[in-house]
Amino acid sequence: MSQYALALDVGGTFTDVIMVEPGSGALWTTKTPSTPADPSEGFFDGVDKVLGRAGAAAADVTSLFHGSTVATNAILEAKGAATGMIVTDGFKYVLEIGRHDIPRKENLYSWVKPARPIPPRLIMEVPERVQLDGSVARPLDEDACRQAALRLKRRGVQSIAIVFLHAYANPAHERRAAEIVRAAFPEAQVSVSSDVLPVFREYERSMVTALNAYVQPKVGSYIEKLSGGLKAREVSSPLLIMKSNGGVFSPSRAAKRAVDLALSGPAAGVIGARYVGDLTGMKNAITIDIGGTSADISLIENGRAQMTNDGEIGPFPLPIPIVDIHTIGAGGGSIAAVSAQGGLTVGPESAGASPGPACYGQGGERPTVTDANLVLGRIPPHLLGGEIPLDTERAERAVRDHVAEPLGLDLHQAALGILKIVNSNMVGALKVVSVEKGYDPQDFALVAFGGAGPMHAGDLARLLGTRSFVIPPYPGILCAMGLLATDLQLDYVRTQVQRAPNYDLAGMEATYAAMAEEAAADLAAEGVPPERQQSQRFADLRYAKQGYELTVAFPEDVVTAEAVAALVEEFHRRHEQLYTFSDTDAPVEIVNLRLRAVGLVDKIDLPKAPAAEGDAKPKGNRQVWFDDKGPTETPVFDRAALAAGHAFAGPAIVDQADTTTVISPDQRARVDGYGNLIVTTVRG
Amino acid sequence: MQNIDTVTLELIKGAIRSTRSEMEALIDRTSMSPFIREKKDYFTAIFDKAGNLVSSTNLPMAGNLIDCILEQYPAETMLPGDLYWYNDPYASRGAVSHMPDMVFVAPIFHDGKLFAFAEAWGHLWDIGGMMPGSISPDATETFQEGILMPPTRVYRGGELNEEVFRVFIRNSRFPEIVKGDVKAIMAACRLGKKRMEEIVERFGHDATVAAFEFMMDQSEAALRKALDEKVPDGVYSFRDYLDSDAVTEQSYGVHLTLSKQNGSVSFDFSATDDQARGAVNFIMDKSVPKFMAGLYLTRDDPNIQMNSGFLRAIDEVKTRKGSLVDPVYPAPLGMRSHTMIRVNSAIFGTLAQATGGQASAASSCYVLYYLSSFDRASGEFELCIEGLAVGFGARPMADGIDAVYYVAQKNYPVEFAEMEFGVQIEGYRIHKDSGGPGRYRGGCGIVRDIRVIADEATIGLRLDNVKYPAWGVNGGQSGRSGRVVVNPGTPEERELKPLSDRNVLKKGDLVRVTTSGGGGWGSPLERPMEQVRDDVLDGFISNDSARDDYGVVLDEESGEIDVAATEARRAGMAGATGMFHRRGYFDGLEEAEAAE
Repeated sequence: MSQYALALDVGGTFTDVIMVEPGSGALWTTKTPSTPADPSEGFFDGVDKVLGRAGAAAADVTSLFHGSTVATNAILEAKGAATGMIVTDGFKYVLEIGRHDIPRKENLYSWVKPARPIPPRLIMEVPERVQLDGSVARPLDEDACRQAALRLKRRGVQSIAIVFLHAYANPAHERRAAEIVRAAFPEAQVSVSSDVLPVFREYERSMVTALNAYVQPKVGSYIEKLSGGLKAREVSSPLLIMKSNGGVFSPSRAAKRAVDLALSGPAAGVIGARYVGDLTGMKNAITIDIGGTSADISLIENGRAQMTNDGEIGPFPLPIPIVDIHTIGAGGGSIAAVSAQGGLTVGPESAGASPGPACYGQGGERPTVTDANLVLGRIPPHLLGGEIPLDTERAERAVRDHVAEPLGLDLHQAALGILKIVNSNMVGALKVVSVEKGYDPQDFALVAFGGAGPMHAGDLARLLGTRSFVIPPYPGILCAMGLLATDLQLDYVRTQVQRAPNYDLAGMEATYAAMAEEAAADLAAEGVPPERQQSQRFADLRYAKQGYELTVAFPEDVVTAEAVAALVEEFHRRHEQLYTFSDTDAPVEIVNLRLRAVGLVDKIDLPKAPAAEGDAKPKGNRQVWFDDKGPTETPVFDRAALAAGHAFAGPAIVDQADTTTVISPDQRARVDGYGNLIVTTVRG
Repeated sequence: MQNIDTVTLELIKGAIRSTRSEMEALIDRTSMSPFIREKKDYFTAIFDKAGNLVSSTNLPMAGNLIDCILEQYPAETMLPGDLYWYNDPYASRGAVSHMPDMVFVAPIFHDGKLFAFAEAWGHLWDIGGMMPGSISPDATETFQEGILMPPTRVYRGGELNEEVFRVFIRNSRFPEIVKGDVKAIMAACRLGKKRMEEIVERFGHDATVAAFEFMMDQSEAALRKALDEKVPDGVYSFRDYLDSDAVTEQSYGVHLTLSKQNGSVSFDFSATDDQARGAVNFIMDKSVPKFMAGLYLTRDDPNIQMNSGFLRAIDEVKTRKGSLVDPVYPAPLGMRSHTMIRVNSAIFGTLAQATGGQASAASSCYVLYYLSSFDRASGEFELCIEGLAVGFGARPMADGIDAVYYVAQKNYPVEFAEMEFGVQIEGYRIHKDSGGPGRYRGGCGIVRDIRVIADEATIGLRLDNVKYPAWGVNGGQSGRSGRVVVNPGTPEERELKPLSDRNVLKKGDLVRVTTSGGGGWGSPLERPMEQVRDDVLDGFISNDSARDDYGVVLDEESGEIDVAATEARRAGMAGATGMFHRRGYFDGLEEAEAAE
């Protein structure tokens, strides 16, 4: 009997599907349109299509992975459920007031406060008060709690967030309130702040709890539909869903911690890039996923994706452990424009999928990055291997009318200018995750993917100063590929503030042990046997009086004085690396203890590329502009015809169905055993 | 200068913007005082070698931060690795406008030639003075407001001037956190310098300097165009008032005459009242009103940065020596923001007249309190300085911002404040009905309930817009006033003067600070009924206000709109009778004064 591993990454426009038969190494991919109204339709279109291609039976699928934008879109498009909130008496407006600031980059005279996921009218106050040491100053008014639940029921909410002050120090009131709400209003889904994020700072905790409640009903019903559809197709494999932290979890856990799905898609891409790095032996990688409207950027150090506890989604804070992904509004559809003052800007406005770039001929008149690439001969005059023709004339007209003429440049100078600006914007973002965090790009490879990544990787690698760039064999579906390369991953955190030199070693050990116990039980509930469970301890440290902590890996499996000393040492080093200075005389505080628990999932070994016989042969030539001195006659290779061991010098273009790789005259390419294209810049 | 292509100029502009973000992130992550690490009271900028502002946070405060350093230390005497600092408002002629704001400046060189400065300033927690926190509503001269640091070289060629550093730190009641903040800000300046060196290395000196000009030209052109299109030639005057200077009962007026003739624009503040005895004096650099008008008039274009380009687009700013906006040494300056906010509202007042009401209503001045105690047993000071939100003025296209402080600055989380200070926060709400009624509603202020935990404490208060609430415009009404009450609803209830210091509190006292709202824009009778209902449901306005101010009748049971009753009621209500509103409607300046 055959066995298949199947992964689906449901994006905003397309659903990417990849299926691998580990036994034979056979691999199938497909793309289907996403169906935002009911994303499960697109999911099953993809499942059926890829099974059909492979001639495989659904019952033979033995592992099934999924990246989803259901939660992301619900938050960004403000389309979550009607949600209510129950809070400590006197604090109804915490969510509304927020941190009372006008964001630093905004103009104070035009900024408008973004609408919160829960309006004040659906926030109920109940008498109760826990103090910062966890003691109870005012008991919970249980009847008021019940009344609040019933009022919210009458107002038609589906989901309720419960957030009490200092609940991270003592969750008893929140837990009791949750019981009361569940009893009074059993249909409602309940999110409790001390479960979602048991750390201090009430606005941030309130927001992440509110967002969890807000997306929970949508995620829940989506997951139900998936389970139903899978059952109908007799797929018996458990479904694993990608979280924002780069690990996967079960549908039942996802239904409770829906907010963990907020960055599911981009996280999968980073894990895919990490997988490519593992295969090519490049443990240090900067990753960039360039799509139509945005570019997602992250950094992998020594095989480990960088994490943050300080992320954002849209205008809201998202202080949960997530893969540290920096997103900017720059992609193939980004529109180039000349401002009234004569400056050239590219993005963040995007032509999106509709009308799309001018060259799509679907009514887009304004020049985009894709149009500039076409004008310069960097991409072929068609998409998807010839299925969709591109209109070079329209692209030229758009660039000429909107950029070249207003700036007094010729057509190709203008197109090169558009690329320079968008590349520079992306390099700025690449520096945010690397140089600005104390990492030297020379120690990293750039892994570029997404439909537009390979077009820009050559310029970006040179500008950033990485040794090389890597284009995986299927750059358009690397997120789906990443799903096949992930593990179950659960994160735990406890606030336990301690200041040097009075570190409570026994207390810390007890906290870690308690988290480990909880993690073991949770992993067991996910069906992970003990021999496949791993965990890693972390701690958040800061200099006393600072407001931010750095997360540092705890160097040992037990808390000893030596281990803590090494931890503090590593904190000084990281502080110096990130912030240019350290202060070894200043007292160091340990603020939070963290545990990451991993349940190992079998990895799929990707098929190897066939070995090359003879030199790589171009399929033809194209006139390509690399600079404004004129076009260069450039050989064009067909990616499908490239084999392991092939090597050639730039200038060169590599066409494949879903993207094009641009290799400059000063770069050299080779193909590795897995079919990755590895390109190095020859320094003059 | 050679001709540099637009693309390169845009690339450098982007790189300078990233440099500043990076400097700010460094301060954010490493600073130690509640004021900088939680409240975020720090800002960064890049200047050209002549001291022209090229790029900064969009905070309309002084732009002449380099001049006083260049006067003391001529450019040719500067070395790479130098770092300069100062907080002296008089020596810097208002570049820094009150003393807790400490300015740090690093000169930047390329091939031995000075070409730029990286600058950062932050509000330090305490620099000495008559009261903890250094700013006191009781101050009557600048020497009561802490240690004065004239422009001084704190690093010479990378070498710390240990003596000046020690002297300064010694003058703080909280030396450790001041030291921590100073380290963070100095590291940010050095980082800015390093990044600017990389930029000039990559693009070359001429292109980098050309980009400075390009950025200033862009801002200048944008503001000139906006002035051209939006402000007709003419002479427009307006006067707005501060409640008092805290030490006397007198109110002070900021008066502005804006004239525009043949494209030339002038701001004349000469008729502003004489300087105050209390600490509301504001050494207003000429850049301040220009930045305010520039940011306001170019607000729809996110590519425009606040920089010296704005200064070139407005020809003249006149002040009178000895007035509130041009005070004579050693007048106290700690609370200059109260005057600064009126400079802003006076600009809006003149623009409203020039544009037939197409300008924002007035915003309330942000609020602060200083709660301090001294623990004799430990010999330590306890200090809680908290910034509180107010309501901002409604705009021709949107409601005023509810519960907002000012650019970039954040509140203390309740859970942080209770951990850090001897207080318990027992309520944090919207101040209902404080936003001025209008087609666009003024922003609402807030209510914060603070319980004193220390045995004894004193509180200094800076709550304004009580006597003179933020005015409404174009048919919109004024915002409504805040107040400060101790132990509300108990037999010990008492009201505190909203601008006052050294009010004595005892353990267990509850201080309720209720802040003022912003003015409304346009007639409240034209606000869509559904928005009025939503405001009632969300607690921004009361049922009474919906009926009396907006003419919207809601069903008492269901809360739904009674459309017929609303239409009838609105038809019978009188509309606006003047351009401005504060208590009653009034038109120009004369009526304004009559109405007061």
